[in-house]
This record gives sequence, C-alpha cells and structure tokens, in this order.
Amino acid sequence: MEATIEVTGLRKRFGPTAALDGMTFTVTPGRITGFVGPNGAGKSTTMRVILGLDSADEGTALIGGLRYRALRNPLSHVGSLLDAGALQPSRSARGHLLWLAHSQGLPARRVDEVVDAAGLATAARRKAGGFSLGMRQRLGIAAALLGDPPVLIMDEPFNGMDPEGIVWMRGLLRSLAAEGRAVLVSSHLMSELQDTAHHLVVVGRGRVIADTSVADLIAAASGDRVTLRTTARAQAMTVLAQAGAVVAATGPETLTVSGIGSQRVAGLLGRAEVPFSEIGAHRATLEEAYMELTRDAVEFPAGGAR
Amino acid sequence: MTGTATATPYRSARHTGRDGFLRTLHGEWTKFRTVRGWVIGTVAAALVTVAVGLLGAAGSSIACSGPDGGSCDHTPRTGPGGEEVRDAMTLVHRSLTGDGGITVRITSLAGLYAPGGRAQVGAGPGTGMVAGLQPWTKAGVIVKDGTKEGSAYAAVALTGGHGVRMQYDYTHDLAGTPGAVSASSPRWLRLTRAGDTLTGYDSTDGTHWATIGTAHLAGLPATVQMGLFTTSPEYVVTSGSFSGSSYGGPSKATAAFDSVALRGRTGGAWTGDLVGGPDRGPGAGGSDLGYKESGGTYTLTGSGDVAPQVPGRGSPGKTVETTLVGAFAGLMVVAVIATMFVTAEYRRGLIRTTLTASPLRGRVLAAKAAVVGAVSFATGLAAAAVAVPLVEAVEKSKHFPMYPTPFATDVRIVVGTAALFAVTAVLALALGTVLRRSAGAVTTVVVAIVLPYILAVAAVLPAGPSRWLTRLTPAAAFAVQQSVHQYAQVSVDYTPADGYFPLSPWAGFSVFCGYAAAAVAAAAVLLRRRDA
Amino acid sequence: MSGLRQAVHAEWTKVRTLPGLLWLLAAVAALTAAVSAAAVAAAHCPAAGCAQDPAKLSLTGVQFGQAGVAVLAVLLISGEYGTGMIRTTVAAMPRRTTVLAAKALVLAGLVLVAGTVAVSGSVLAGRLVLPGHGFAFSPAHGPVLRAAAGSVAYLVLIALLSLGIATAVRDSAAAVGAVLGLLYLFPILASVVSDPDWYRHLQQIGPMTAGLAIQSTVPSSSPAPIGPYTGLAVLATWSTTALLTALTLFHTRDP
Repeated sequence: MEATIEVTGLRKRFGPTAALDGMTFTVTPGRITGFVGPNGAGKSTTMRVILGLDSADEGTALIGGLRYRALRNPLSHVGSLLDAGALQPSRSARGHLLWLAHSQGLPARRVDEVVDAAGLATAARRKAGGFSLGMRQRLGIAAALLGDPPVLIMDEPFNGMDPEGIVWMRGLLRSLAAEGRAVLVSSHLMSELQDTAHHLVVVGRGRVIADTSVADLIAAASGDRVTLRTTARAQAMTVLAQAGAVVAATGPETLTVSGIGSQRVAGLLGRAEVPFSEIGAHRATLEEAYMELTRDAVEFPAGGAR
Repeated sequence: MTGTATATPYRSARHTGRDGFLRTLHGEWTKFRTVRGWVIGTVAAALVTVAVGLLGAAGSSIACSGPDGGSCDHTPRTGPGGEEVRDAMTLVHRSLTGDGGITVRITSLAGLYAPGGRAQVGAGPGTGMVAGLQPWTKAGVIVKDGTKEGSAYAAVALTGGHGVRMQYDYTHDLAGTPGAVSASSPRWLRLTRAGDTLTGYDSTDGTHWATIGTAHLAGLPATVQMGLFTTSPEYVVTSGSFSGSSYGGPSKATAAFDSVALRGRTGGAWTGDLVGGPDRGPGAGGSDLGYKESGGTYTLTGSGDVAPQVPGRGSPGKTVETTLVGAFAGLMVVAVIATMFVTAEYRRGLIRTTLTASPLRGRVLAAKAAVVGAVSFATGLAAAAVAVPLVEAVEKSKHFPMYPTPFATDVRIVVGTAALFAVTAVLALALGTVLRRSAGAVTTVVVAIVLPYILAVAAVLPAGPSRWLTRLTPAAAFAVQQSVHQYAQVSVDYTPADGYFPLSPWAGFSVFCGYAAAAVAAAAVLLRRRDA
Repeated sequence: MSGLRQAVHAEWTKVRTLPGLLWLLAAVAALTAAVSAAAVAAAHCPAAGCAQDPAKLSLTGVQFGQAGVAVLAVLLISGEYGTGMIRTTVAAMPRRTTVLAAKALVLAGLVLVAGTVAVSGSVLAGRLVLPGHGFAFSPAHGPVLRAAAGSVAYLVLIALLSLGIATAVRDSAAAVGAVLGLLYLFPILASVVSDPDWYRHLQQIGPMTAGLAIQSTVPSSSPAPIGPYTGLAVLATWSTTALLTALTLFHTRDP
C-alpha cells in the first residue's frame, strides 16, 4: 500500500456553517506535513473524516487509495492520536494498549515495545485516570505506533507537553518521517512546527490557503521587500518615493521599501548622495507568514467583536 | 524541501494477517476485563442474586401448629406425569379385569359451599354452608389403577359449570356435551376400556352416543377399579391486597346415579372409599361424605378434587422460581455494567479510538454485544445454578413443601435466567449506544424490566393490568422463570402475583428479545449514521 | 445566608441553561399522569366489591415517576462529576455545604412543581375514569387529599435520597442502579417472604414501601404495616441519612 493521504474536495456543513469547504491536499511519505490554521479552521474535522469517524458531505479522503473503513487491521496502516484524554480512567495504560493490540491481532509483546518507545515503562500498570496531560500524550503516541503504521496522523500532539516532552516529540516525529513514513501533524501554533515540519498545509475557513514547503512559504511572505538602515530617513523616503517605491518607516533608522529591488534602491540612494549603513532583502518569520496568510481566515480574531 | 524526492515509503516488518470479527471481539473482551470495577460488578451481580434469594427464604416461615397445621409432614402426591396432584373424592368401585366398560345415568348434581371461608365451618359439619355448585364439581364414571392417591385414571364426569368432560391422569381435560342436568333432562355417561385405551362417551337420551375422546394410559394393569365418583373443590377467592391473602372454604356435592350397567369381567362387591382419606378432604367434615344405594340408585356425596395441585399465593408450598427472586437485583447490576461498557466510551471520546481501530461499526456493536451478553449469560448461569439448590436447601430446612418440577423445567429456568441476564445486558448496551448517556439508559432498562415486574408480581396492581404488563412490557421475560402450569380444570387465580404469567415461558422471553432486537437495530443504524 | 441565595441562583441557572433537564422533568410529569391514567383505565371493580384502594390505583404513576425523579437528581450531580465541572463549581463556591444545600433546594423546588402537576393529572384521571369502573373515588375526600399531597412529598423525598446517593457514588449509571435497587429491593423481597414479621418489617423499613403508605386510603382487612405519616417519616430518614453521608464524603474527598 502506498503510504500517502489524499484529501480531495472535502465539504461538510454543521447546520449553517461550512466546516469544510473544498479541503484538498496530499500528504506524502518521508516527511512531516504540518497542518496549521486557526482554531475552527477544520483541521480536526478533516482528520476525523480521514479516519472514517465523521462523514463528509462531498469529496474523498483516501489512504493509499483506500477509504479508511476499507482498511483491514487499520492500525497497521494508520496510527492516529486525536484526543489524548480519550481514555477509560480506571483502565491501566497497559490495558488500554492491550485491547487495541488484540483488536488488531497484535501480540502483547508489541504493547511492551511501544510502552518502552513512548517512555511509559514505569507508569504502564498505573490507572490512566491519574496521568498528567503529557503522559496521556505519550500513551496516545504509544497507541498510534502500536501497529507500526506507515502513516501517522496526530492532532495537536504538543498540547500539554513540558519542554522536555516537546523536544522528545520533535525528535520522534523526525525519526518516524526519516524512516519513510507519512506524518501529518496539526497545530494552531506555527512556532511548534517551525523547526519540525518539512511541508505545510495552511488552512482557514475549511479550505487550504497554502500548500507549500516551509522555505517557499517564508520566501513568499517576504515578498520583494527591502530593509534599509539609514540616518537620513526623510531624505531617503523622498528619493525612493519619487522613484515610485512604497516606503514605510519601521524604526527610527529603518525603512521597509517595496516596489523596487535592492539593487535599484542602492543605485538611487548613491546618486542622491543619501547615506545608508545597511541594505538587504527582508526575511519574514514563519509566524509572520502565517499571520499574513490566515488574516482573513481567522474565525474568532482576538480583540474583535467578541 | 527536505528529502521528499528521495524518501522510500515505510514498510512495516510485521505481518498482521487477516482481520475480522474475532479480533474486534478479542479487543472488546480485553477492554472489558481490564476495568476492575466491571469485573467486580459482574461477580457482585451473581452474589446479589443469590443473597436476595437467601433473604427471601430466611424471611419465610411456616406454621406447623396452626389451626390448619400438619403441613410440616407434607409429602407431595405425584401423578403419573411426576407433577403434584390432588386426588380426593368419594369413590364407589368394583374391580375390572381386561376389557370392559361402565354406563350410568346421572339425574341430579347439587352442591353446598361456605362463602365466608373455613372459620364458619368449624362450628360443625355443614354449618353456614349455602347451596351452590363449584364450576369444577365433578360426578361421573371412572376407571382407575387402584385407590391409591395419585394413581392413573380416566373419567367421564358431569361438572358444575363446564358440562360433561373427559379427564385423565390429572392434567388432561376434554370437553363433551355442555349444559347442566335435572331430573327431566338427565345425562348418560359411558367409559370403555380396551387394553390401554379408554374411550369416553356421553348422551342426552341413552340411545344416541357422542364420543368425547380417548386416553392412552400406558402401563395400565389388567385389573383396575371401575365405578362412580363425586368430588367438589374448594371455593377460593384471592384478594388483591399487597399481602396477597386468599380466603376460601370447602364445598361438597351430592350426585344421584341410576341405570348402572357394567360390561366385562367385574369382580367383588361395590365398595365405597373416600380416596385421599376423610381428613384429606378440605375440611368439609367426613361424616356426611360417602354413598347410599337404594333400588339401583346410587347417591354419592364427595368433597375434594381430582386434578393437578397448583401453587398460588394461598398455598404453603414453594416453587423453584421463588429461589430466583434475587434475579431482578442481579439484572440491575448487569444493566449498569453493560450500559457503562459503551457510555464510558462516549463520555471520554474513547469511542473514536475504538472506531479507528475497528472502522466497521456494526462489527464493533456486535462484538460489544457478544462480550457483555456472554459475560452476563455466564453470570446469570452461575447465579441461578447456585441460587436454586442453595435457596431450596434453606426452604427445605424450614420444612417448606416444595412443588416438584421435572428436571427439564429446572434446566429451562436456570438457563432462561442466564438468557434473561444476557439479553438485559444487550438491551442496556444498545440503549446506551442510542442515548450515549448512562443515567438515561440504565433507568430506561430498569424501569422497563423491573418496574412492571414489581407492579405485577408484588400485587401492587389488580390482576387485569398486571396481566397486560407481563404480556406487553419487557417484564414478560420473567415468564421464563415460571415452573407452574395453568390448568383450565382448576379454578384458582392465575395472576402474575401467584406466579402465573399470561405468556408461556419462551413466548414471554421472545417479547423481551423483540424489545432488545429493536434497540440493537436502532443502535446499529445510529452508530453507522452518526459522526463519532 | 446571602451565600446560599447566590448558590441557589447559580444552581438554578445551571439547570435552566441545560434544556435537557427541564424537558426530562416535563416528560416525567406527563408520563406519570399517563401511567396513572392507563392503570385506572385497565382496572375494573367486580360487583362483589373491590379489594383495590382507588386512591392508590389512581396514583400508580408515582411508581413510575419516582424513577424519572431519581434520574433527574442523579444527573444534577453526576453530570458535574462526569465532566469535571464539579471543580469549577467548588472553585466558585468553596463551601461544600452551601453547594449541596443549594442543589437540594433547587431539586426540591423542581420536583415539587413537576410532582404537583403529575399528581394532579393522576387524580384527575382517577376522578374521570374510576367512578365509571365501579369504584367510589372523590378527590375532595380527606384521605385522598392526604394521599395526593403525600405523593408529591414522596417524590421530593425520593429526589433528595437520589441526590445524596448520587453525590456519594458519583458515577451516574452506578448511582441510578443503586437508587432503583434500594427502592425496588424491599417490595420484591416482601412479595416472597411468608413470615408475617419479616413481611411487616420489610414494608416498614423500605424507603419505597414505607413512603408509599401515604397513598392508602381504605383500611384493609389486615392491619397496615406502617401508618401513612410514619411511613413518610421513614423515607425522610433515608433521605436525610443519604444527604448527610453525601455531605461528609463531599467534604472529605477531593472533587
């Protein structure tokens, strides 16, 4: 089976609101695909549709060309972590993994393996109800890895993790991808994915806004803007504006120029004998790029009409 | 752009093999047994069933020295079929060897009964009695395997309210010509024997005979007793109060026979006997019971009944189902656990994990039902198999007479109780799936099963509504615990409070299964249709 | 006392904003009256005289309604334990006694209203149907009024008993099972014991059997196991014990 997730034209309405509005993207093996977007953008719904939990009104979500419900022993094809709190509190962590293993025909030995892999060896026999959120996330990861699947789907896996846990999770996700698995990780915080994901699917209001590599996304957000450092700010602004550039003062000695390239900026300033100490292409952070992209797609903007 | 082009898709080294229902089932079973509270609860369901049964037995006592005492040495008379019977009548008989028959004309049948109950009769024989026939007063001809109580027989008799009947071996009853007799409109009765086969006839004119039916009394010896008999059962009224007290009184009947004609090798002289002994009559006093013969007319006065003994609220005996009175408590525990088996998943969102592991939802529901059903069946089986002998032992040690039941009935009751537990669990699971909330599901199951049972069995409601409840609601299922039979030829109150359910054991159980099936169907549809 | 008033207001707002609970209450009231109506419609008094108590018969629905009231009471508290909202509640109102008292007051008020509606409907059904079926039944008759008002009190006490048990047990399924088991155990046991002393004692101590003695209006042939007001007092003792146990546990346990 090809380890890809293909999501094509998903639409789903909850009453008057469209939760999914033509969601389309592909997750390919060997890399971590970050699935980002503001709260309510349709990330979790998409994941539930991929996993056959929710049904879409339109469109398909296929794993290796098959619908989830058509998979035999699905945990050997797709490992998922949706909600780490989805546990019976009175059942031990090991018991939780054991029933999952038995439902897939996996031996109890495999449970011990994933318990070790998730760093839960000392807590496995304790009741899951007493686990911290971070430990529940680890238990959820153990459950996702149980069937040794080529595809992994994780909804907000960094939630509730301490810094040590976040580092561990990043390392784990990278090594899973390096083994050739397709990994889809959702987050509403770009910073969590900045150093983790290779590829990004940015969503807002139920559809894909950008489907690109991390590097391309940053480049696109940076645009052709030029950052200029000068002590003669007013002079520089006059010269550049006369040449047709859009100039914005972003600091006491810095200007951001768009509309003309850095070569041209340097030439114009040289000819007009305006002093400047530094000139360079502007580089946006991933966070900025994301804010730029999702500005219109935020469901509940902070400080809005709430 | 990190290494996308070069990645080779991951291939797991493990071989998973086929998936299927058994794996889902294994997963669900592991899920059940890894929650200690559910396992403990299951054991508790069995224990509470036995404990409530023992409490019921502990709270029962029988008076050996009361005014109607003497019950403590009760040894049940059993008929040829092994059931407990009453065999008390005034019998006038001669022996018959080989084939033969008897024909009589019956010209009158009259009776007396004590409407106020036994107490008024204590003053003296016949005191306080008023004229009136009981519906199942009987007078007629009989062929019987000796005069011992409980022996095989066949009889053709005129009854007080049901015309001519042919009855044999206590439990069988066939209808002949209806109507009552008088001097101007007598009735002729005939009973013939050919080997094991006895045939009954009746006639309104002594010329034209109608066959009522035939009886095959296997193993009837060559020499039997043949003659005339009269008997009249107790007058019983069961009041509908909570305590379920019943009152009644004795009755007796006098019948006149003439034109007695015998056929075949008869021997000995006419002998009068009070079968069941004068004291075994229901207190009507033995002094005026017996027979007189003058000029070929035989006048017999009898009291008692030749019929199956039926347990009821008025009778001191214990039936096997009383040992299982704790089943309702066990059922409630089972319903709680079975509901939680699914609602706990909804509450925590665990249902999503379950459905990602086993995406075929119908299969998940089936596996869950199989697990709770099987666990509950085993629980019910263990509880009933322990409760029946244990509670019976306690009742016996308190000198309660036990109504004998065939082994097959005992097995049906024990297995039926186990099935009751299993189907209750499945119903609770299905309702839990439909409602996704435990409190509502548990209440619905308990109110549907146990509340009608209480209203009917604890005699909160009159017999009419009680019968409807035990016919239409899931409480009909308790019929599967019923060991007693209703006999048309015995007049007692066959109410649910007396242990008589209007439906047969498996019919009642089927009603319950119908409810469970509907709930499972609804659960399957909703589980498939709803987003998890 | 302002603390209690605020707490009651808060609890009432909780109930009011969960429309399911109020619908449940309305359904319980309607079904109680419907069950009573069905019972009186199915009952006929034979000419020889009826052994049935007409007031009891027309209030049959209370047997059903008590289960609904029990669920309502259980949902009121175990819903909070199930979702963890109990921590929010306790954070907002740290005095456990106030919280439980407020819940009990709101519950009692709700059941009082619903019970009055349900019992009035039941008595009305009895008034309309029973005389036609050979029963003498007049709602204005003193004992009948006592039976009707007592049935409302019975439902309130059952609700409080359930609240106490549910607070102690916390899980809703187990709590409902425990409440109904406690109610049903005594009448079923009483129906099988044949020792008159046992029978009498079981009727006297059972919360359902003792409490429902308030419904009997016709002196029966045998002396009643327990008087109407004594019976209600027995039930009140059960409810108080349950609430006090719940309060102790509520104080000592972490929410």
